[in-house]
Amino acid sequence: MRVDVRALGACNRLAERGAKQAAGALSDLTGTDLAVEVTGASVASGEDLAESFAGRESIGVSVGLRGGLDGEAVLAFDAVNADALLSLLPGGQSMERSAVTEVGNIALGGFLDGWANYLGKAIDMSPPRYFEADGAAVLPDGALAGDGVFLFESRLDATTTDLDFSIYMLPDSGPFRDLIVGKTAPAVTAGGEADGGTTSTAVPYESLSTFSSLAKRGSANAADNISMMTGLETSVDVSRLRFVPLADVPAEVGTEPHAGTVFELQGEPSGYLAILFEESSAAAVADAMLPMETDEPLGEMAQNALCELGNVMTSGFIDGWANVLGTTITHSPPEFVHDIGASTISPLVAKLSQRQDYGFVIDTAIQTEGIQARCDVYALPDERELARALDRLSES
Amino acid sequence: MTRSLPDDRPDDPATSTGSDAVTDADPATVTGGSAADDRGRIKVGVGELAVATDESTLTTSGLGSCVAVALVDERAGVRGLLHAMLPTGEGRPTAASRPAKYVDTGVDTLIGALDDAGADPRRLEARVAGGAEMLDLTDAVGPRNVERVGEVLDSVGVPIVASDVGDTVGRTVRFDPDGRLVIRAADGFERAI
Repeated sequence: MRVDVRALGACNRLAERGAKQAAGALSDLTGTDLAVEVTGASVASGEDLAESFAGRESIGVSVGLRGGLDGEAVLAFDAVNADALLSLLPGGQSMERSAVTEVGNIALGGFLDGWANYLGKAIDMSPPRYFEADGAAVLPDGALAGDGVFLFESRLDATTTDLDFSIYMLPDSGPFRDLIVGKTAPAVTAGGEADGGTTSTAVPYESLSTFSSLAKRGSANAADNISMMTGLETSVDVSRLRFVPLADVPAEVGTEPHAGTVFELQGEPSGYLAILFEESSAAAVADAMLPMETDEPLGEMAQNALCELGNVMTSGFIDGWANVLGTTITHSPPEFVHDIGASTISPLVAKLSQRQDYGFVIDTAIQTEGIQARCDVYALPDERELARALDRLSES
Repeated sequence: MTRSLPDDRPDDPATSTGSDAVTDADPATVTGGSAADDRGRIKVGVGELAVATDESTLTTSGLGSCVAVALVDERAGVRGLLHAMLPTGEGRPTAASRPAKYVDTGVDTLIGALDDAGADPRRLEARVAGGAEMLDLTDAVGPRNVERVGEVLDSVGVPIVASDVGDTVGRTVRFDPDGRLVIRAADGFERAI
């Protein structure tokens, strides 16, 4: 099976628009502004998903899908936000189950309208089922099986209250395969290319899955290198390969101040890599690396330490890629950044956006023990070059 | 329950020629979509724009090399905010589907949307923020965004009455109903222009 990343982009756009419809429906119902923060398609193994959802408790609603799209869709929110949600709903606390079920039904209906439109076929929704779930049990049935699944995920963020929802949709692979493979004929795909259409953006699904595990290994290497340099125990919390609209990436990093390093990658694939710590985490990690106390929390010595750390993390991250892809990838010297998180990554997104609207993002959260520190690694490879490298991977 | 099909189907790929038919004619990126109501705050994402004709505040966050263009016709009470990522959309395949991604096509689309909402393009005033040179790696995309804003607004005769651009700092902006643009930096320092 070959996946056309442009068709995947189109599907992602649908998921994004569906999420906007769902946000609108919920805003009307609750009188609270809701905005769609991020929509992405993740390519993840069941094991990865189970890890990344560990410890979370969710409540929500699921519906089965038949017709234009087969599979399951789920609307979920953190159980800790349950009271906040119920206080906004008609009927409130006394109507817990039925109120949540109704919300889920309306929002998921909005979500699926866009897909039905695009497919030109109605989608049948089974009656909504209320659930309370631990960890990855919140995900649609089948998400945890197999080596890799496409999971569409949207995060809705309430602008005035602390109330975040997620919508997950897991399409059954058969009919969905036709959708992402069959919709975009090669000639049409090439027509959209700025460079005359000589490159293909279709990649074998198995290679995507391979790349996803590769990204995970890269994250583990990067974490090991932190342990080596700081003496702090580290672990990889989450590592996912996702396909997202590039314009969503800054919002995902958020508006809190961050510090860290960014790198340009050269070779195949080229692209960018950013290692971002929340401000206090950056200071704590730099502190652990420096032999003496410093006056300024993120002064020159701390910056040098973080640059050095960034260097070894990046090497650890990309060495594995080059080995498996059979290419050479080098990286620029580190550039220190310290500003609003979204602002630090926006120039990287802008540069990549000259050639593509969507991109594969590997995002990894690394956690250190002993001191409270966490960093996120964002790898943003050039889409066409990555597709080419993955294609070669499947031939060899 | 069945999700039925509305009669008009703007997303129908058969009627579209682009490779990514779904991105065509998305009203949400032009109007701010469902968030563009009278409940107070309209968030404008990266590569999006929105128009307000009421007391809503328009906000956009995390400007680095991106540039925010705020246009107002005070007499008509119509305001609009654009968060553009790159200077020039001309000749790029995605400019038609995502005009707000680029300064030139974004400003044109924003002026059109303001016109539709009752503004007189001849009365518009502009405030500009962002376009920082955040990184050495990314060859001056911020300054080129700012330069392009100047050229495009000049060509359509919209004066820039105030700006807070360049430098190496990230910014978050809020476009208030009184037409002032409030800019906040990472350290929390705020200024209104």
